[in-house]
Amino acid sequence: MKSFKYLFFLMAFSGTLVSCDSLLELEPAQNISEVLALENDANIKAVLVGAYDELGATNLFAGNTLRNSELLGANNEVQWVGTFNGPREIWNLNMIAENGDVQGLWVDAYQTINIVNNVLDGLDVVNESDKATVQGEALFIRALVYFELVRFYAKPWVAGAANDQLGVPLVLTPTRAINEDSKVARASVSAVYAQIISDLNQAKSLLPESNSWRADTYAASAALARVYLQQGDFAQARDEASRVIESGKYSLTTAYSDAFNRDANSTEDIFSIQVTSQDGTNSMVTFFAIPDFGGRDGDIDILDEHLNLYDPADERLSMFYEGNGAIRSGKWTNQFGNVGLFRLAEMYLIRAECNARLGTAVGDSALNDYNKVHQRARLSAANSVTVEDILFERRLELAHEGFKVHDLRRLQQNIQGQSFDANNTIFPIPGREINANPNLVQNPGY
Amino acid sequence: MKKISLVFSMLFLFAGMAVAQRAVSGSVTDNDGNPLIGATILVQGTSVGTVSDIDGAYSIDVPEGGEVLVFSYTGYASLEVTLGTSNVVNVVLEESAAQLSEVVVVGYGTQIKSTLTGNIAKVAGEELENLPVPSVEQAMQGRSAGVFVEAVNGKPGGAIRVRIRGASSISASNQPLYVIDGIPVTVQSQNASGAPLNPLADLNFNDIESIDILKDASASAIYGSRAANGVVLITTKKGKAGTSKIDFNYQVGTSQPTGYREFLNAAEYVELFTEAAVNLDEIEGNVPGGFTWKDWVEARFDRYSGPSDWRTGQTDTDWQQLAFADNPISQQANLNFSGGNNQTTFYAGLGFSDQQGILKNNGFERMSARLNLDHKSSDNLTVGLNFSLARTFTDQVSNDNAFSTPLQLIAQSPLTPARNFTNDPFQSGSRLIQPGELFDRPTAVYYNGLIELEESQRNVVSYRTLANGYARLKLAPGLVLNGEIATDIYNLRDDLFQGSITFGGQASNGYAYSRANQILNYNTKLFANYSKTFGSHNLDMTLGTEYQDSRTQSTDSEGQQFPVDDLKTIASAADITGGSSFLTEFTFVSYFTRVNYNFNRKYLLSFSGRVDGSSRFGINNRYGFFPAASLGWVLSEEGFLKDNNTLSFLKLRASYGLIGNAAIGNFEHLGLFAAEGYNGVSGLQPSQIPNPDLTWENTAQIDIGLDFGFLKDRINGEIDYYQKVTSDLLLGVPVPATSGFTTQTQNIGEVTNKGVEFVLNTNNTVGQFKWNTSFNVAYNRNEVTKLADGQDIIDPGSSRLMNVVKLGQPIGVFWGAEYAGVDPDNGDPLWYVNKEGSGRETTNNYSDAEFVALGNPSPEWIGGVTNTFDWNGFNLSIQFQGVFGNMIHNAAGSFMSANGDWFDNQTRDQLDRWQKPGDITDVPRAIFISGHGTQSRSSRFLSEGSYVRLKNVTFGYEFPKKVLDNIGVRRLRLYVIGQNLLTFTNYDGWDPEVTTDAFVNNTTFGVDFYAAPQPKTVAFGINVGF
Repeated sequence: MKSFKYLFFLMAFSGTLVSCDSLLELEPAQNISEVLALENDANIKAVLVGAYDELGATNLFAGNTLRNSELLGANNEVQWVGTFNGPREIWNLNMIAENGDVQGLWVDAYQTINIVNNVLDGLDVVNESDKATVQGEALFIRALVYFELVRFYAKPWVAGAANDQLGVPLVLTPTRAINEDSKVARASVSAVYAQIISDLNQAKSLLPESNSWRADTYAASAALARVYLQQGDFAQARDEASRVIESGKYSLTTAYSDAFNRDANSTEDIFSIQVTSQDGTNSMVTFFAIPDFGGRDGDIDILDEHLNLYDPADERLSMFYEGNGAIRSGKWTNQFGNVGLFRLAEMYLIRAECNARLGTAVGDSALNDYNKVHQRARLSAANSVTVEDILFERRLELAHEGFKVHDLRRLQQNIQGQSFDANNTIFPIPGREINANPNLVQNPGY
Repeated sequence: MKKISLVFSMLFLFAGMAVAQRAVSGSVTDNDGNPLIGATILVQGTSVGTVSDIDGAYSIDVPEGGEVLVFSYTGYASLEVTLGTSNVVNVVLEESAAQLSEVVVVGYGTQIKSTLTGNIAKVAGEELENLPVPSVEQAMQGRSAGVFVEAVNGKPGGAIRVRIRGASSISASNQPLYVIDGIPVTVQSQNASGAPLNPLADLNFNDIESIDILKDASASAIYGSRAANGVVLITTKKGKAGTSKIDFNYQVGTSQPTGYREFLNAAEYVELFTEAAVNLDEIEGNVPGGFTWKDWVEARFDRYSGPSDWRTGQTDTDWQQLAFADNPISQQANLNFSGGNNQTTFYAGLGFSDQQGILKNNGFERMSARLNLDHKSSDNLTVGLNFSLARTFTDQVSNDNAFSTPLQLIAQSPLTPARNFTNDPFQSGSRLIQPGELFDRPTAVYYNGLIELEESQRNVVSYRTLANGYARLKLAPGLVLNGEIATDIYNLRDDLFQGSITFGGQASNGYAYSRANQILNYNTKLFANYSKTFGSHNLDMTLGTEYQDSRTQSTDSEGQQFPVDDLKTIASAADITGGSSFLTEFTFVSYFTRVNYNFNRKYLLSFSGRVDGSSRFGINNRYGFFPAASLGWVLSEEGFLKDNNTLSFLKLRASYGLIGNAAIGNFEHLGLFAAEGYNGVSGLQPSQIPNPDLTWENTAQIDIGLDFGFLKDRINGEIDYYQKVTSDLLLGVPVPATSGFTTQTQNIGEVTNKGVEFVLNTNNTVGQFKWNTSFNVAYNRNEVTKLADGQDIIDPGSSRLMNVVKLGQPIGVFWGAEYAGVDPDNGDPLWYVNKEGSGRETTNNYSDAEFVALGNPSPEWIGGVTNTFDWNGFNLSIQFQGVFGNMIHNAAGSFMSANGDWFDNQTRDQLDRWQKPGDITDVPRAIFISGHGTQSRSSRFLSEGSYVRLKNVTFGYEFPKKVLDNIGVRRLRLYVIGQNLLTFTNYDGWDPEVTTDAFVNNTTFGVDFYAAPQPKTVAFGINVGF
């Protein structure tokens, strides 16, 4: 009899387990379904925040796009001494298609683009009052990412030329499934630039004057100014820069050093990647700083060739410091500090350069704009200024902030002894991408 | 007594309706006169049998015509006795290594090996006892044909790669399913550092009775969708009725690395780097301002020398020696208590193992307790409980890819003193290094890993409970119902603290990370076994259902800004920088069956199958059916062979079956978004593309085998040929990243494994001097036969690592540029162009060399041979183990063997660099910081990985019974044991058994990146029994 009690117990227990399909229906705890994620106003806005997060990926604007520009255009002013192969190849101009950094930028860029495409596709469920802002931010992010892609993976824009050389694939709708349509071919450089300008112009008109740390209408103008400058469209670059300056919303920080290593935006910042101790990595610090500041080993040394450019009185020179046996950039010493992408000084320098080139004085004279930046560095005011002076000022003012190779290209100056559009100064299309997408054409030289 | 034997016989044998013609009885003992309990006694040619009781006594009704009794017992040679006139037959069985009549554990039951139609390799628990290794897989290494075991490096408690008959999957798991006493246990590593730990190290293998490895589909199909990588069934020890026994074992020993690499000394270092700088100066020509790299490099020498003078060779640090511990001590103690009576038997085991690693501050400690209890509550009902608790403590060092891991110390310059040896503080960068303090950058070339060892700690503690209760009810003659409830509870804590001068903590006044992880895995099953004999027809059937639910939860947090380094918990952190919790779960609902039939134990037939449903599969493919069928023919039972005196056993068997691999992520079939916050605001990002068709991987496996025995099975063995075709591979198929995704999990692709296995066991001599040999060897050819449409290669895209998945090549094949040595004219590195039609043309431009397959990271042949000798109480066991035909990629070669490219100390072979026209060498001209032939994806850094290892030598002396009786001790044995004593290999790295812990995955292995070598251990031990 006793044995039957056990048996009953056993049967009762096991009986509850058999033939229960519902036991196989589990939902993940950390993820939600695609349908749910895009179903309402709040969720679409959350996806937009997700886009900012991806924009701030280390491979993108948390620093590596800036770093890559400095390494490509090193010109003996900086040198890579770290152990990572990826950046070393970039610096050595001997990249292979398998380079992890080259691949990382591509992957993260298109991930960001897919996220904002999801937002743009889901605008219908966004509250009417916020729709313009949400759309504007998404377009701004998309344009920013395409601008990086086209500048790194394609032969540079040459003012006055057709610019029908291969750019990057243009993807403007969200991915819902993988099929033949996913194998997008490269659009021309001019088509990519046209898309960037169209996105930014729309964003400029959609975005509000103020939008906390998010993109606002002036961020869109600042981006436009930079894009036009890259194209050599000095008039439009000047006008967009002037629009930012004339808004009166921004002012240069009193001390040059105050513009950097900020936990929150300074008065000078137009748009920055927000890094906090909980979220995000400032990868400029990772590579430019030493371990005392949360960097790696001091992977990038600043060389005399650069340091010798400064007037000894230049405050900007005093920001450099010696650490781990070499000179380091003092702009990157707060591992949880923001990564500034657009700041007012750049706008002054763009307007000054364009006014000087065009012989105009829109907003203010080139000399005055130049001196604003020059004097902030505790240097005495100049009495006259040439385009060369302004470009030189730009080289110092914006040093180690990611401008280097892009300026060399637009000015058609040599890149580490190579011509401004030499094959090995252009990133290869990542090998994994060529393998996955037969419609892609590799860049020459790879 | 009789009653017990009767019940036993019903449970384990095909007890037919015996026709009582003649009653024979007697006893079964071993050489020493100890009773053998549970020995099988069969009347040859019939299915009549019984087992001996706790006194070794038996009685059997021999039917008419029955003339020969066959006595067998696991681990002993079986004995055939022709019945004479006497009805009393007492036998003494001789011990032997392996036998065909042994009982093997199969899924949900047991079976006599001679009637098996599948391929099951058995490892007896006693072969593993007392081995000075942390985990059971390591103890199994080299003991079974076709079972590849590799510790990823020599850190105790670390991950172990086990591949049964080759790797069949690219992105799902390739590890076998482990089932301990019926529980499919958790084996996925849960610790947070990049160096995965092995959850199976929680098991004290001294408690193991046997390990049965199900290799072919016939054996494993009853485990259905999880059987494709083979199944390892682990059975723990049970008590035996009779006098209680206490056994105690203690051993203590010490370890050292199996090998060292040779590095430059200070003088050679200065010579090489000065030359590299001068060469660079020569290439660059005169630089305005008089800059020379020679000056620059010498300035670096000054910097790296700290307070010493490199010009006089004042410091010559052997950093390699500093990475290794000084005679680390390992200890093991086990105390077992077992016994019982007719109703209740028990086995209780306490274990303690402390394995100090060969690296500094690296150790593994396990405390375990086990109680296995079996109770026969009536003739029809047996209930029992297996319960074990274990605590492991791992003192972990950083993964092999971290500057802070001890072996990366070898990258430091020999010019650099490890510590400030002077009596004065030394200014090093922003820090003042006090006398006796360790140097860091900028004096050291890299972060000084010794700081990590002294100023940080990473402790992983796991608590593991394995418990299962069972009830076995005899419903009718031959029909037994089994119910089991089991849990595997795995709790893990992972705590890291990095002090204020460590790499991880120096920017934030210390850093701490803490993680608690729990896996609750529970499992219930209900199944019936029915066995019946109708004349010459023997039938054995199993039918059942099983449910498994595994739920993983973890919580972690991290903080920084600690007031002092003595306060190490996050409670003291001023800044909490992260916190998270995580949950995931999977379930399986299954139904399984097996039917074994044999005619006179001569013609064997088996069918098994399982239906598995899992939460992991897409809604369109939720349930799968996994059948297998097999046939066997025992030729030696046929008339024409039956009386052959030489050939005592011969069986042909063949099996075919479909099995699956469900070891994929838990929710890979869904389209998902994940939370990604930004600047404190919550956000969402797409994380996964849906695939509602997603399902298990299918493996079709054919096995043809031959089991043989000669000279009364004194020579016995197996030969198997198998072919495993795995299709519907769960591939993270690379999709264009322009879609916003990099991979989609699809059932696509195919991998084939073909191989041959050979096992031979021989009792070379018997009697006073016993010599047994057991030999196994296996060949496996692995090939990727299909990928996604139009896809030819899956290349993870690393410039450091070169394992890829390539069509027509084995998984993980090394894919890179083929190095052609050095141009004797100018010292340039050369690679073969390898473009179509380029023949053996070479280039000095790495980019011009096409990537080609350079070698297989998996061995083609693996094997082992064990010889045991017994003489008058002395016993000696010698085990060799080896792998052949694989290559190893030294991925750190581009740093440590880079002809003076950067300040990493170089291996001594770099002294052989090209220096002048005409020099014939493989080491290019030393040119500083120029990447002169240092590209890692090149066969320059590949070497042969074959090795043969003297895996284990044990020499012991068992004191004779006569002596022990006087002192009241049942057993006393003293022994000395050596593990990994000798390694024969052409690999010039530390150790050829290597796969860096930081990189190991399905497709990346055979890589050496500062990986700790295996330990060579010598230990002394004592066994005492009462």
